[in-house]
Amino acid sequence: MRSRLPFLSRVPVMGPIISLVAVSIAVGLSTDRFMLLDNLNNVALQASIVAIVAVGSTLVILTGGIDLSPGSAIALLTMIMASLIKFEGMSAPAAIVLVLVISIVLGAVNGVLSSYGRIPSFIVTLATLGIYRGIAFLFNDGSPIFSVSSSLEPWFYGKLFGIALPFFYVLIIYAMAWGFLKYTPSGRRIYAIGGNESAARLSGINVNQTRLMAFVIAGLMAGIAAILMTARLNSGSPNYGVGTELQAIGAAVVGGASLAGGSGHVLGTLIGAAIIVVVQNGLNLNAVPTSWQNITLGAIILLAVFIDMWRADFGRLMGKVWSRRAGRKPASANTDGEDLDGDRAGRGR
Amino acid sequence: MTVAPPTMWEVRAISKAFPGVQALDQVSLSLTAGEIHALVGENGSGKSTLVKCLAGVHQADRGEIRLGGETITMPNPIAARQRGVATIYQELSLVPTLTVAENIFLGRFPTVMAHQIVDWGTMRRESVRTLRGLGIEIDPDAVVKSLSMAEQQLIEIAKAMSEDSSLLVMDEPTAALGISETRRLQELIRQLARQGKAILYISHRIDEVFQIADRISVLKDGRLAGSSPVRALSVDTVVTQMLGTAVAEHYPKQHHAQPSLCLEVEELSTDLGVREVSFSVHQGEVLGLGGMVGSGRTDIARALFGVDRPTAGVIRLNGRAVRFTSPEQAIAQGVALVPENRKADGLFMNFRGPENITVANLRALLYGPFLDLRREARTSREYFAKLSISPAGMDRTVQYLSGGNQQKLILARWLFSKARLLILDEPTQGVDIGARIEVYKIINELTALGIAILLISSDYPELLAMSDRVAIVHNKRVLQILPASQLTEYRLLELASRSSHPSEGRRHEI
Repeated sequence: MRSRLPFLSRVPVMGPIISLVAVSIAVGLSTDRFMLLDNLNNVALQASIVAIVAVGSTLVILTGGIDLSPGSAIALLTMIMASLIKFEGMSAPAAIVLVLVISIVLGAVNGVLSSYGRIPSFIVTLATLGIYRGIAFLFNDGSPIFSVSSSLEPWFYGKLFGIALPFFYVLIIYAMAWGFLKYTPSGRRIYAIGGNESAARLSGINVNQTRLMAFVIAGLMAGIAAILMTARLNSGSPNYGVGTELQAIGAAVVGGASLAGGSGHVLGTLIGAAIIVVVQNGLNLNAVPTSWQNITLGAIILLAVFIDMWRADFGRLMGKVWSRRAGRKPASANTDGEDLDGDRAGRGR
Repeated sequence: MTVAPPTMWEVRAISKAFPGVQALDQVSLSLTAGEIHALVGENGSGKSTLVKCLAGVHQADRGEIRLGGETITMPNPIAARQRGVATIYQELSLVPTLTVAENIFLGRFPTVMAHQIVDWGTMRRESVRTLRGLGIEIDPDAVVKSLSMAEQQLIEIAKAMSEDSSLLVMDEPTAALGISETRRLQELIRQLARQGKAILYISHRIDEVFQIADRISVLKDGRLAGSSPVRALSVDTVVTQMLGTAVAEHYPKQHHAQPSLCLEVEELSTDLGVREVSFSVHQGEVLGLGGMVGSGRTDIARALFGVDRPTAGVIRLNGRAVRFTSPEQAIAQGVALVPENRKADGLFMNFRGPENITVANLRALLYGPFLDLRREARTSREYFAKLSISPAGMDRTVQYLSGGNQQKLILARWLFSKARLLILDEPTQGVDIGARIEVYKIINELTALGIAILLISSDYPELLAMSDRVAIVHNKRVLQILPASQLTEYRLLELASRSSHPSEGRRHEI
C-alpha cells in the first residue's frame, strides 16, 4: 500500500505537516493579526505546554492505552508547587524537584493499576481524572494561590539567545522522546506491546513493566507542564488544566498516532500540538466563543480518528487516482493478493 | 452416483484484478450437486478471491456465475446467501461472548409476538437439532469462547448449514483441526454431498484433499492450471501443477540428532492438567508431539515456555534444572516458542521485517544504551537472504506478506535470539506448499546447528516425515515415544485417538 505514494509515505509525518500548513494559511487569511510576531510568539508559548503533555499522551497511546488524567494532575501539581513555595517557604528549584517526584508517583499510580492491576487504562485514568482534581481542591480550601513568587516567572518567560525558554524545553524533550522511541530497547518495546501484546509477551517482553514506564513518563510530562504553568501564571489553581487531556490526546491523534496502539511518531505529535493551538488561536482572534472552540476541538479529534480508521481505504483510493493519472499500473505493491483481501475482510474495528 | 448429476453452479471465465495484481484470470469451474470439488493452489494463487466472488464479497471484472444455466449476480454477501451459497472462511466469524445457539442463529433469531421477542425455546431446540444432525456433541448453551478452536470450527459449519443452501464453500476448514476432528468434518462433508449439496473445498493439505475430493482443480497465479477427477490424479501431478515445477522431495528430512541431551523432562505436572509427563530431546533432534487437539500438546509447550507453572517434576535444560515463571526467563535460557496462531500471538503487524526479527533479542543490538539500527538492518538482510524471505518485508510492515514469509520471519526471530530449544506449534498451518518446504528446510538447518526442536503438528504426514521420534500425547499424558520410522499415519491415529475426548479442548490464550 505504502510504496504507491512514495513521497507521502516515506515521510511519516507528511500528513500532519500538510494539515499544519493548510490550517496556518486558513487562519492567516481569516485575520491579519495571526502573522504578527507577537501573536506567533504567543502561539508558540501556548503550544509548548500542550506539546509537552502530549509527549506523555503519545507514549501511552503507543502502548495501546489512553491517559485521561494529565489535566487533573496538572491542577494538583500547580497547587502543590504553589503551596510548597508560598506557604512552606521552599526555594523554587527544591519545589521543582519535589513536584517532579510527585508527578512520577501520580503517573505510576495510573501505570500500576492499568498494568499489574489489570484495569483498563481508560477506566483507571477516568477515575484519577476525578481523584487528582479532587485532591487539588483540598489545598488552600480549594482557592487558587496567587502571586506565588517572583522567582518563578523567569523559568517560563526567560530567554536564551533571544528565544523564549519553553522553546528549548520543547526541543530537548522532543529530541529525547524521539531518541528514546527510536533508539532504545524500551522505546521499541512500547511499540511492540501496542502492536501485539500477546506476541510481545511471548517474545520475552515484560508487558506490565513497559506499560508502567509509559505512564510514569506521562506523569513526569504532566509535572513539567505544571511547573511551566505555575511559572507562567505565577499561581496555582485547582481549575488549571481543564481540557488539557483533550488537547494532548488530540495532538497525538492529529499527529498520526493510532489509538489502536503501536503506530505513531512524537514528531507528528509536535505538529499535532501546533495544529491544535493554531486552530484555537485562529478562533480566538476571530472572537469565536469558547463554546464553539470546544466543539471545534472535539470535531478535529473525531476527524483525525476517522482518518486513522479509514487510512488504508484512503490509501487505496488515492493510489487508484494516482496510478490512473500517471497512466500506469501502480508499482506492484502487493503480490499476495489473498492476504490483502483477508486483511480487508477481517478488519472489523 | 448412478446418473451423471446435473451441473448446478458454474463459474465462467471469471477475471478479477486488484491494484498491481491479476488475482483471477479467466477461471472456469463447474460445481456439481453431490460432488466435492477441491480447489488447491499456493497463497496468492487466487483461491480466496474466487471464494469471495462466489460469496458476493467481490464482483468479478469479467465473466459470470451461473446457477442452473442462468446467469446470476450477487452484489453482496447477503444476496449470495439468499441464492444458496454458504461460505465458511478461514477466520472464524463467531461472536465469542455469545452462546452456541445464539451464534448459530445470529442475525436471524426466531421470534414471537410480531418479531419483538426472541423465541429462545425454538432457537435452542433448532440448535440441538442442527448440531445433532451433524453429529456434533456440543452444549448449545455453552459460551463460544470456552470452546476449543476445533469445536468453534464445527459450530461455524453448523451455522452455515442451518441455512438452506445448495453450495457450500469452505476455505481451509481444517486448518485449526486435529486429525480426528478433520476426519469427523470430512465425514460431515461427505454426508452433505450425499444430500445433494455442491461443495467447494479449499485446503493446503494435499493428502487430505485426495482423501475427500471427487475432483481437484489447481490454481496457479490466478489461472486454472488443471481440473480433473481425483482418480486421474496423483499427489505429484497436483504439486507440480501448483508450483509450476516438479518437486523432488516433498519432505526433505535430514537427521542431525546428536548423542547429547538438550531437554529432559521428568514427571512434569502443571495445575492446568499436564500429568506426569516424561520425555527428552537430544540436540539436533526433532521430537514430534502427536495427539488430538486438546490432548495436552500445547499445555506441555506452555509449561516448558514458562507460561504455565509446573506443580511437580523437573525440567532440565542442557543438564541444568530450570524453573521458568515467565516467557522472559525461558527465552533468556534459550527456549523459544513459535505459536500456533501466527497473527494473534506471533507477528507485530505494525513492525517491518527487521523489527519483527530482533524484538526478542534487542540486547544483541545494543551499542551502549542505544539500539544500533544499522546493525539491525544488516543482520536482518542476512536472515532475509538465508531464509529467502520476500525482500518487500525489509521496509514494509509485515501484514501484506504471505503466510510463509511471515512464518519465516518468526523463525528468523528465534535464530537471532540464539534459541537452543525451539517449540514449533503448527508451524505450517495456513502456509502454502512452496513455503512449507522452505520451513522444512529451515528445520533441517536448525537441527544441523544442534538446535533441538519440539514439533507440534496436526498434519500427521508432516509430523511423521519431519520428526526423528514421536511422542504420543493423549489425555494430558505422554503414552509412548516411538521412532518416527516405526510409525504410520494410521498407527499414529490409532494410538492417539484411543477413547478420545474432544471436549477436553480448551481455547488457549497464551
